[in-house]
Amino acid sequence: MSWKPELEELARRTAMAEAMGGADKVKRQHDAGRLTVRERIHRLLDERSFHEVGALSGIGEYDAHGAVTQVTPANCVFGRGRIDGRPVVVVGDDFTVRGGSADASIANKPLMAEDMAAEFRLPIVRIIEGSGGGGSVKTIETKGASNLPGGIGTTRGFWRMTANLAEVPVVGLGLGSVAGLGAARLAATHFSVMTKASAMFVAGPPVVARLGQALDKQELGGADIQTRSGAIDNAVNTEDEAFECARRFLSYLPASVHGLPPVTACEDDPQRADEMLMSVVPRERRKVYKMRPIIESVVDRGSFFEMGRNFGRSIIAGLARLQGHPVLLLASDPFHYGGAWGAETCQKVVRYVDLAETFHLPVVYLMDCPGFMIGLEAERSATIRHGVRAMAALNQTTLPWCTVIVRNAFGVAGAAHQPAGRLSLRYAWLSASWGSLPLEGGIEAAYRAEIEAAPDPKARLAEIEERLNALRSPFRSAERFWVEEIIDPRRTRALLCEFARLAEPLRTPGHARFAMRP
Amino acid sequence: MKSVTVSAEVAGTVWKIEVAVGDTVAPEQDLLILESMKMEIPATCAHGGVVREICVAQGEAVAEGQALLIIDGA
Repeated sequence: MSWKPELEELARRTAMAEAMGGADKVKRQHDAGRLTVRERIHRLLDERSFHEVGALSGIGEYDAHGAVTQVTPANCVFGRGRIDGRPVVVVGDDFTVRGGSADASIANKPLMAEDMAAEFRLPIVRIIEGSGGGGSVKTIETKGASNLPGGIGTTRGFWRMTANLAEVPVVGLGLGSVAGLGAARLAATHFSVMTKASAMFVAGPPVVARLGQALDKQELGGADIQTRSGAIDNAVNTEDEAFECARRFLSYLPASVHGLPPVTACEDDPQRADEMLMSVVPRERRKVYKMRPIIESVVDRGSFFEMGRNFGRSIIAGLARLQGHPVLLLASDPFHYGGAWGAETCQKVVRYVDLAETFHLPVVYLMDCPGFMIGLEAERSATIRHGVRAMAALNQTTLPWCTVIVRNAFGVAGAAHQPAGRLSLRYAWLSASWGSLPLEGGIEAAYRAEIEAAPDPKARLAEIEERLNALRSPFRSAERFWVEEIIDPRRTRALLCEFARLAEPLRTPGHARFAMRP
Repeated sequence: MKSVTVSAEVAGTVWKIEVAVGDTVAPEQDLLILESMKMEIPATCAHGGVVREICVAQGEAVAEGQALLIIDGA
């Protein structure tokens, strides 16, 4: 007598799990243009690499003889798989089972997924749709009592949700309507992506309507809102693009803080020197130029992966490779307030610099910063406090930095271009210009008495400006060794690749001195 | 025919308007120049078309996201 009957029951129960919420609900999911959680997992992972854990869990129904007739699966599917051959943990909400809501969830499933990622030191990808198994009003009746958020027996999930940020890469994909705990799990990540058809909010339109705000899902929490607010990093058109984003992000990172970013083979010539770099920065100081082509020109061809493009737009942030070495790349965008740092830009700098420190990515900064944002709005948004916070984040890093001063470096924000207190590499382009304060506007303040006393104040102002302009050549600063190198911009790529090679042995695995916050 | 509103990417003042109502414009052409943080920031449209309306005047202060021009798509 073997265990054949049980083996058959195992197969039957596994099939029930694979049927998810049933054919009707799967059809409804597809009709809405969305994939099921199992399709998502299979498309995210390397082919046939998914190993599910907890497939049998759910709510069973039995006949009079005690034989199982039906199991409604729990609305969380998780397990291990591979992305580009590297093991990961994936955990997804099944929206076909009670709309991903709490009454069909088993809280220990997503918790075990997070534990598995932490204990086995594997990246985790959260595929989120619905309320992420969070509480619902309905459970008051089904359980006969109201849930205390963070009450006894529920705290571990909340702890893990953020604690993993200091352990392993955490990616969140918002694919559908995401609210409450689901939104929290999506935002509590190193990198989050939503499709443009999706929406994320603390509470959805029916709840918000009580505030007198009649908004649909897109108006309340669509990609335009959430990528501009900085709650979500990237928005994409299709679910497949979201999976591609997750794979791409992970390709630059180690499996955990205990490893190092993988160095790959590089086919792009490290000595490549693009001619356009000689003329890309306009001689007229008021004219702007596009920074992204400069980034593309200096990093390994096609290796730049931008994140958070719609938020804090004076800084462009992303991952890139230099001769195969992954780095965090920061660059100013003069199209946005000339590259000046506002409160949101500073928050963006903190987020990505902390990411770099957590996962041992050397930092490259292509700088053109005329200072912090000025004016009433800037004061109201606490620009200076967010600014010194960004500066603190820079100073807390232990990773090698390399800064290229492309054009402006002014004021306190100008000083925030490399960590203070240790040596970094720094190169100034021929177009570089710096000072405590830009001359424009600064002269009136500094030479007020002299200008006012002059018979022709306007002429005196012009005279002073000419005098100072003659002195502000970066070569004069180089004479005094206030800047160590002024370079032909075409040499930038070669020097950055050298930096990446020098930085390689300095990267040290282990926990950062601080635990990264979302 | 679809029309597209070109909005201010940044707060600033309208420094120069480079087109007139009725002009045919190319994709990514500079339509209007904002002055912001002492820099000239061009406003462009990803699609070409015909300028239907100019919503701002030279010298006017504009907020981030404010409509600048409306372009009727080709």
